[in-house]
Amino acid sequence: MSFFGFEERTLERGKDRRSEQDEDLAVYTWGEENYDGLGDALQEDHDDLNDETFGAVGELGKDFDFSNQALPDRKNITRSANAIVEDRPPQSSTPLTLESIWDDKSPFSLRLNGSNRTQLPRGESPAISSQHRQQSGIRTLQEIEAEMRVSADQSRQEALLQQRQQQYYLEQQRLQQQQQKQREEEELLLRQEEEREFQRQRLLYQQEQAQQLHLQRFQQQQQLLQQREHQHRRTPPPRMLPVSQSPRFMEHQQRQILLLQHQQEQQQLLRLQQLQEQLRVEELERQLRSQHISSVTPDRQPSGPTLADMEALQHQQLRQQSQSPATRSGPHRPAPLEDSLPYLPQSIQLQQRLLSEMAQAEFLREMQGLSQADQEALRVEAMRKILEAEKMEEKRRRKAAKIAHMSRYNDLMTQSDKDFITRIQVSQLVSQDPYADDFYAQVYGAIVRSRMGLSADDERVLKFGASGGVALGAPTKGGNRRPNAMQRMQQQVERIVSNARKREEEKGLHSLHSLQGALGKTSGRSYKAAPRQLLQVDSSSAPSSSPTLSHAQPHAHISKADSISKSSSEAAADAARIGRETLDNGETLVRMEPLTQREILVTLENMYDLVLNVEQLRRDQPHPEDGEEVLEQWSQDFDKLVDQMWIQLKVMLPLATSTPHPFISLLSAAKGKKILPRVTRHFDQQRMNTLLTLLIACFSQLDIISHAALLDTLEDTPERADVERQTQAFLSSVLQSILPIIVKGNLRLVCGLVGLLMHGQDIVAIAKSRPGLALLTLFLTRVEVIKEGEVDENPTPEDFAQWQLMFDHLFQLLTPEFPLLFPSTRMAEHLPRDQPHINIPGIDSLDQPVWQFLAALALQASSMQHQILVSSLREKVLDNVLSAKKGWVVDEEERSTKLANVDLFLHALGLDSSQITM
Amino acid sequence: MDGSSSGIQEPFDLIRLSLSERVFVKLRGDREMTGILHAYDGHMNLILSDVEETIMIVNEGEQATVNVAKRKMDMLFVRGDGVILVGFYIV
Repeated sequence: MSFFGFEERTLERGKDRRSEQDEDLAVYTWGEENYDGLGDALQEDHDDLNDETFGAVGELGKDFDFSNQALPDRKNITRSANAIVEDRPPQSSTPLTLESIWDDKSPFSLRLNGSNRTQLPRGESPAISSQHRQQSGIRTLQEIEAEMRVSADQSRQEALLQQRQQQYYLEQQRLQQQQQKQREEEELLLRQEEEREFQRQRLLYQQEQAQQLHLQRFQQQQQLLQQREHQHRRTPPPRMLPVSQSPRFMEHQQRQILLLQHQQEQQQLLRLQQLQEQLRVEELERQLRSQHISSVTPDRQPSGPTLADMEALQHQQLRQQSQSPATRSGPHRPAPLEDSLPYLPQSIQLQQRLLSEMAQAEFLREMQGLSQADQEALRVEAMRKILEAEKMEEKRRRKAAKIAHMSRYNDLMTQSDKDFITRIQVSQLVSQDPYADDFYAQVYGAIVRSRMGLSADDERVLKFGASGGVALGAPTKGGNRRPNAMQRMQQQVERIVSNARKREEEKGLHSLHSLQGALGKTSGRSYKAAPRQLLQVDSSSAPSSSPTLSHAQPHAHISKADSISKSSSEAAADAARIGRETLDNGETLVRMEPLTQREILVTLENMYDLVLNVEQLRRDQPHPEDGEEVLEQWSQDFDKLVDQMWIQLKVMLPLATSTPHPFISLLSAAKGKKILPRVTRHFDQQRMNTLLTLLIACFSQLDIISHAALLDTLEDTPERADVERQTQAFLSSVLQSILPIIVKGNLRLVCGLVGLLMHGQDIVAIAKSRPGLALLTLFLTRVEVIKEGEVDENPTPEDFAQWQLMFDHLFQLLTPEFPLLFPSTRMAEHLPRDQPHINIPGIDSLDQPVWQFLAALALQASSMQHQILVSSLREKVLDNVLSAKKGWVVDEEERSTKLANVDLFLHALGLDSSQITM
Repeated sequence: MDGSSSGIQEPFDLIRLSLSERVFVKLRGDREMTGILHAYDGHMNLILSDVEETIMIVNEGEQATVNVAKRKMDMLFVRGDGVILVGFYIV
């Protein structure tokens, strides 16, 4: 290993192992298990200075000294740490420390100086006495008491001393724990901020110290009261120990001061945790702590000027505190208030003053030997005042909590932010024409409101309630605040709407300005969402409007064949119309093919558009006070639309135009049936009569009549279901719309209609259908009402005669088919041959209209006709009565229905089911 | 018939004619259905009522057979994504 710079000492040892001795290169023998001589190269001396380099650790044991300060950064802390360290041993020997209490040095000094954690056995009387002088006059009294105590009996003091020692010991232990925690906190704070303005701090320290002393006093007094309440060990009445009462009182006060200090320390900890981000608070706390620590230093090193400064400052503080308003809560609360310590509530000051006065008075009386009652009264008064103060603090605390609760979202979202968002949301809801944009909700709301008792006072079309969940139009019970919010929202909405309108007007003016004279249309709404052409020329308008496009196909997308067929039918219709108009007589006939499905549907869709427009127009009906012209214009528009509807309905086309008549074809679609009531709502009486006449005249052409036979089949096929649906639609819509006409019709009209029904139409087939039967029943009842004379008009005898003729004719036509009028009879024919008596569910309710019709018929029938009725329906009646009486029924309901049906008919005849005997 | 302002202008408008009518819809996944059309939109989403759906299940194999499964529903929303065709359905 010559390259190491060491002697090759291994040559001799490993010589025999080395095979090649003349090799100059060193042979590396790492990893070999035998000795390779490296260990000899290790230098293991010069260890003498290790302790100096690395520091003497001393005895290493398992008990870690938490109290020891490892980092000596600040002089004060170090000094205080040393002081504390030094304090530890003396405190362990409590009796010694306590003994020193009762020396000439006032015990208060100990407690006051160690206001947070330090308890110096070395009481500096000058410092302490100066502090005492700073406080209220009671301090002077305490001094006097101290002197008194010195002159008092030693034995009694010792006895009391032992008790107090125990108490103090416990308290000191508590103090120690708290002090440890606080010291750690302290160190953290101090390490965080190293250099501050020390002078300012010291001034502040002194101020705060004085304030803390005040707080301490107050807390002690409160604790005194608490102790008096809760602890059994009560202060013996003063008369028992007149001499030692004062020291005991003093002791209580000392304890209170201690506890006050504890609480103070706890408060500081809490504040630290809560307001760490606030430098100011941190500073204060640090200042507080360093103040406490530094307050020790002046004591240990009595520096006159410092104490004098403190005195002066404390005097100033007293003045300041008396002036400062009590706005903060007391020191007891751990509420996150920033500077609670520097500002004392007035009540606390008041309390302190009162208590101090009280104590003063007590002491004085002690000395003067006043009666017990007065002293008790004073104590009671003090307690009462303290309780009052506590109540007030409680109230203040609650108020502060409420404010904190209200402002808990501060800086997250201001009221203006919330309003902004509300406005955005509301603006989405706003629309110019709510009925067009949100038709179903509006109508639904209207329906619900009308059902809920017509509480639709203000027809606010923009129904926020519907979207917001508030009851539609109904007064909100618990929504005292809601009306205000709603009003606000409505105001906002109105503002938005008016702004939008103004904008539109502007746009209109603007567009007029820029696009005047252009043949085309511009978009109405703002089209920021999707960019559109400024001008949209409608190329798909009617062929005649544009000469260039007329020759082209009507529309690029629709095939020529279709367009041609359409145009042809259109041409035919036009020709028919023109023909009618020219001849002034609607009798010219242009025979057409029945409308194709496509044509029907197209017509119906157009009808729907017209109806929607009419309804929209109806809603926009101007008020009479808006002026004659506006009303006139509106009427014209309205009438034009209605005329268009009328034309589209094709009612005026001649009867024989096609089979079925176009109007009837339109009604063959369910859509057509449903739209009829909406259309006829706007027609006048004359048009309605025409419509009704046409309908009755072509009644048998209706799909429901021609397909009615399907309803008698028993199996549930889609076709049957379809017919059923159509029939239902017809009954509910078409009949509903013509009902009012018939009900008010005179005898002649009814006569004519019944005649139409029979003329050239299969009345039997009509009667076998539900709608037809309903219609017939309607006619009959109307005539009955007329006959009973409850109508305004007075029909002439000719009318009656005419009616009688009709009636007889009808009767005659229907007589052979009476049994077959019943669905039950018809359905029974479809039953399988081997089971002729299957009970079809619900058959009786199907039969009921038939019984009604027969009853109506019987009412007007002559006796001859009665006989015919009875004979033809005998089987049926007996059948029903028998099954009802013999119990061939499923349930009670069915039985009652059967009997009711039969009775309907029999009563009209003047008979009753009970008369039938089995 | 075509003269009114909002008439049929493109094939899509022909669906409009079938509103409230029974339509036949062919869907992806070998499905068909018939129902009464109540609403439609640009995506061809459909709202049908009284619907009967027919599903064809093809059995591959030597002899390819087709089984049919039907089901009925009262009210249905059909996503336009899967609609292949819509036609009249005359019972």
